[in-house]
Amino acid sequence: MSNLAQKVALLARLHLPDDRASATQADLEKVLDYVKQLESVDLPDDTEPFFGAIESVNAIRNDEVLPSTERETILANSPDSDGQFYKVPPVF
Amino acid sequence: MQIENLSAVEIVAKIKSGEVTAVQCAEHFLGRTGELNDANGAYLSTCDAAAMAAAEAVDADRAVGKTLGPLAGLPVAVKDGICTRDQTTTAGSKMLSKFVPSYDATIVQKLKSAGAIVIGKTNMDEFAMGSSTESSAYFPAKNPWNHDHVPGGSSGGSATAVAAAMAPVSIGSDTGGSIRQPASFCGITGLKPTYGRVSRFGLIAFASSLDQIGPMTHTAEDAALVMQTIAGHDPRDSTSAVDAVPDFSATLNQRLDGVKIGVCVDHFGDGVSESVRAKVDAAIEVLKALGAETQEIQLPYTKYAIAAYYVIAPCEASSNLSRFDGVRYTNRSAAANLADMYTHTRGEFFGNEVKNRILLGTYALSSGYYDAYYLKASKVRRMIKNDYDKAFASVDLILGPTVPSTAFKFGEHAADPIAMYLADIYTVSANLAGVPAISIPCGFDDAQLPIGLQLQANRFNESAILQAAHQYQTQTDFHLRRPE
Repeated sequence: MSNLAQKVALLARLHLPDDRASATQADLEKVLDYVKQLESVDLPDDTEPFFGAIESVNAIRNDEVLPSTERETILANSPDSDGQFYKVPPVF
Repeated sequence: MQIENLSAVEIVAKIKSGEVTAVQCAEHFLGRTGELNDANGAYLSTCDAAAMAAAEAVDADRAVGKTLGPLAGLPVAVKDGICTRDQTTTAGSKMLSKFVPSYDATIVQKLKSAGAIVIGKTNMDEFAMGSSTESSAYFPAKNPWNHDHVPGGSSGGSATAVAAAMAPVSIGSDTGGSIRQPASFCGITGLKPTYGRVSRFGLIAFASSLDQIGPMTHTAEDAALVMQTIAGHDPRDSTSAVDAVPDFSATLNQRLDGVKIGVCVDHFGDGVSESVRAKVDAAIEVLKALGAETQEIQLPYTKYAIAAYYVIAPCEASSNLSRFDGVRYTNRSAAANLADMYTHTRGEFFGNEVKNRILLGTYALSSGYYDAYYLKASKVRRMIKNDYDKAFASVDLILGPTVPSTAFKFGEHAADPIAMYLADIYTVSANLAGVPAISIPCGFDDAQLPIGLQLQANRFNESAILQAAHQYQTQTDFHLRRPE
């Protein structure tokens, strides 16, 4: 599993410095080794996955217009904005 | 009268009667926090000015004869992963070091509407990922019973705040045991309600199908009081349940005659320390004397709970935490292009444990691995839920230790993440199945560290848990003991 940590870090958009890569790799391997036991769990053939703790029906509500948070308030937490939109570095 | 030794129920009554004022209470707990926080790290921030203003408003309302809310004047500490308007909310992370929410979480809004005074934000493992607060990006909280030991986590600051009487009540969140495990380690009462019973709107999400907010208190009676305010459907959380909220205090004083308690034999395995086993056995005798009947039950698939949890929770976390990308939440690393900005912001501002879990989740959900990890874990989760359904067909409550041991020392599990994860071995199943569960103090080990008893009930039956816990607390005084 060499370089697994760095490969996954790329997918997760997470910079992993070289000096952390081997320790992170070791931690990941320990957890993956542990969860490997799931492979050998025998389940009845028709077992449906359970994704949420409450199997509720669709939660619907009336389509009412309610006040939204002010743009200015939301942008107050942004690292950079022009007062209208978030500003980010160039894509390319 | 020492205000810090009063229960929440007593504080509310005394404020109502005028024996103490809301301002006196707020000043008292903020004063204790000022004195003690350097030593035990319970709080990441306090809300002194807003708290005093709110307390003055309660006293003013009382002076003119207005009807006071059910929690009027009660100081409450809130976990820092829960949004508080105009009060920095960091979730224990450097990523959110400057984040000031523009709104209150629904539970904070409800607490304030009921008259409660939010006095501060409590320390936690970063984004609630941890069992010791050692993953807090700021400083660890300390166990008030012994500062060499962890308070548990992730709601460790909330547990420390109550145990050290820096707040009569705190709010935590529990994804795999994060209310109950620290409650056990710190000798207090901690309730994880049924999934959906309490709104998660404004809770910074870790694993959305598992997260649940709940009260951390000295007594079960106090937990019932707080639950009455925070429970209920919220149109802003579509997963919050529409089920009617019962009067949680109404059944507290009923004895346990005819109540069937299942003693989970799977929770008394080799990993349980002798002192924990002995105290939990003694608690069973107390409950029997109160009229409860016990029988052995099994939850055979719960032995896979930690494995399933450490697939499911990281998968959900990797998705939830993708929002922290340097665009919207205050902190950003300098970079020449957008992709590098994302990558470096997340690399710089997330701590190691959070990174590990994001990577685990990303790996488990990556192409080709979905069936082996997430799908298989979710099928095992089904079997765990079925175990509970089967058990609750014959018993009202399931009993066992909350944690196999008492609080471990700082650094004890630093080299082995699995050892740390196993601190949640008896608590994660309740999150996977969505059932409510409480930890209450049931004794101390030889080192005078607290031991917790866990009681679980079927979905939406918090009342049965609170009744049994309160009845137990009428016969014991472990919940009244305080660290020196």
